[in-house]
Amino acid sequence: MGGNGSEKKVSGWRSPAWWDGRARGSIGIVFFVVFMAVLPLWANYVSKPLGIDLVFVLRLVGVFTIAAVGLNLLLGYAGQVSLGQGAFFAIGAYTSSLLAVKVGFPVWLGIIAAVAIAAVFGLLVAPVLRLKGHYLAMATLGLGIIVFVFLRELTFLTGGNDGVRNIPGLAIPFVEATTKISEYYYVWVIAVIVLLLCGNLVRSRVGRAMQALHQSEVAAEAMGVNVSGQKIRIFVLSAALGGLAGGVYAHLQGYIDPNMFSITLSISLLTMVVVGGMESIWGAVAGAALITFLPKVVEAIPKWVGDAPRWLERYSNYEGIIFGLILMLTMVFMPSGISRGLTDLVRYRRSPFVNPFRKKVVE
Amino acid sequence: MHLGSIADFFGNCPQYIANGLANGCIYILVAMGFNIIFNSTGIINFAQGEFCMFGGLFAFTFAVTLGLPLPLAILLAILATALIGGGMERLLIYPLRHASIITAIIATVGASIFFKALGRLFWPKEAYKVPEFTSGNFTVPGATVSRQFLWVLGLTVISVVLVYLFFNHTRAGKAMRACSVNRQAASLVGINVSRMSLYSFLLAATLGGIAGLINAPYASYGIGLFLGIKGFTAAVVGGLGNTFGAVTGGLVLGLLEELIPGFLTVVLGVSTGYKDAVAAILLVVVLLLRPQGLLGKGVAEKV
Repeated sequence: MGGNGSEKKVSGWRSPAWWDGRARGSIGIVFFVVFMAVLPLWANYVSKPLGIDLVFVLRLVGVFTIAAVGLNLLLGYAGQVSLGQGAFFAIGAYTSSLLAVKVGFPVWLGIIAAVAIAAVFGLLVAPVLRLKGHYLAMATLGLGIIVFVFLRELTFLTGGNDGVRNIPGLAIPFVEATTKISEYYYVWVIAVIVLLLCGNLVRSRVGRAMQALHQSEVAAEAMGVNVSGQKIRIFVLSAALGGLAGGVYAHLQGYIDPNMFSITLSISLLTMVVVGGMESIWGAVAGAALITFLPKVVEAIPKWVGDAPRWLERYSNYEGIIFGLILMLTMVFMPSGISRGLTDLVRYRRSPFVNPFRKKVVE
Repeated sequence: MHLGSIADFFGNCPQYIANGLANGCIYILVAMGFNIIFNSTGIINFAQGEFCMFGGLFAFTFAVTLGLPLPLAILLAILATALIGGGMERLLIYPLRHASIITAIIATVGASIFFKALGRLFWPKEAYKVPEFTSGNFTVPGATVSRQFLWVLGLTVISVVLVYLFFNHTRAGKAMRACSVNRQAASLVGINVSRMSLYSFLLAATLGGIAGLINAPYASYGIGLFLGIKGFTAAVVGGLGNTFGAVTGGLVLGLLEELIPGFLTVVLGVSTGYKDAVAAILLVVVLLLRPQGLLGKGVAEKV
């Protein structure tokens, strides 16, 4: 599936056998963990000259990575388009922050509750998975809108448009102050665990079943995959990860209101998955990083250039233009995502670009 | 629950029905746009609501900013919106004609965000007032109705009739219907499938543009998503791909959207904010219980 015609003899550099085995995965993970552990120590030095609070943004990248990995299981691996991941994110955020603010739950317990409630909600709405393609996409979009309206209107519980304030911050036990750096480690420890678990999941029996039903549900059924059961399990897992990300996010921000969880959030998460690469666990990290940093970079450009051109001032207008263009161009030229397209380029030394205007002989 | 408040609710009913019909007409036009594109290409265009946004914003620009006479401004606005639809088909949908459904969905979602951001870039403020074709109100027993409503009703009826005639009595319309039944067979009998796809986007954008400019009194960059999901709901309620289904669905949704929140607010004292969720709830319920729609006979894609 790594691009069209991968069964052809591959020319170019071939990696040795030991490198293609488990070793590559393990070494990659070790490198990644060490890199992420050292990153904030360096980030503090460059934050000022860059004009971007690097540690702050990196924490958000961690949060969105968790939600994007969850969505990627559903969208990339199982082939089910969901435009409602933001709803689970919102449910997680509200569960955890309301428990902390109104009941006085410790943060970690609130986040566990957020995961549980989001999963339960996922199970409740799982019947939408009977729908396919456009119908599923629209139904999940509808769910997102319903959750949004209820968060806004159930004022006695959620505070309505005023939101929830004074949410306690994340804190690692045994670390005294809730510094930005300690929050960074809190977020990324969770994110790395999620990445490892999901990476193992997609290589397992369940993962293979998932990819089978992406290819053809009829064929998967014939091979003995319980298609509807499998889809529901993945949907609930994806919802739970959305809830986890939302819970962490709320404690990171200290304040939430319904407008943070509009359709825009679901679409940003979709963009992360698509850009990072569908069917790629690490792609979610790349996608989350790119999509989270992009607006901050555009925002910071005026500070870099000094005498900023006037059109940059309304930067927020450009976010939608950039995201929309990214989604369209990626789908037309690299339908399996940028990270996968570039990997193919490096591995097979051939263009990953699809030529969409090529006429097919057989319609 | 108070008996008096129930009487209040029934007293307000004519007004709810009048408002519901006016909104329903707009949903009908959006739903027909979804249907036409779905029939000829098999995709749901998530940017359909953005065509309405462009219709309204262009009409404002031509009529108010440039000061053109209203009929000319309206014509130009519809033309400009149709061009955007055609451009979208050539640049995005045509290259994706062999792509999977997921790819097509994500691409049209991308188009929708892109259009919305363009709208926000060029028309930055919140809402613009497109002039009413004829201003003022008139009263019928129990309700005050704006004169604009007659235009909305008239234009919708004319559009529905023209679309019906187009699909049933013209060569191009019949060819487009053939594409909806079987693209390969249509292509084998000499129908230019890709041109039909272009026509369908032009037509859908035209209808969307009309819906946007009669969506009085306000046009803004944010209306696309809401009109889009409501139009889709109307299409699904009636049965996706069916013109009369769109009419039924639009009217049902328009009326429910007024009557349900009206009842909840007047009788039970619930906030009117829930109105925004009516379409989404109706959409999910209909998709789950009767995905082929009220009028549909065929079975929608469902496992």
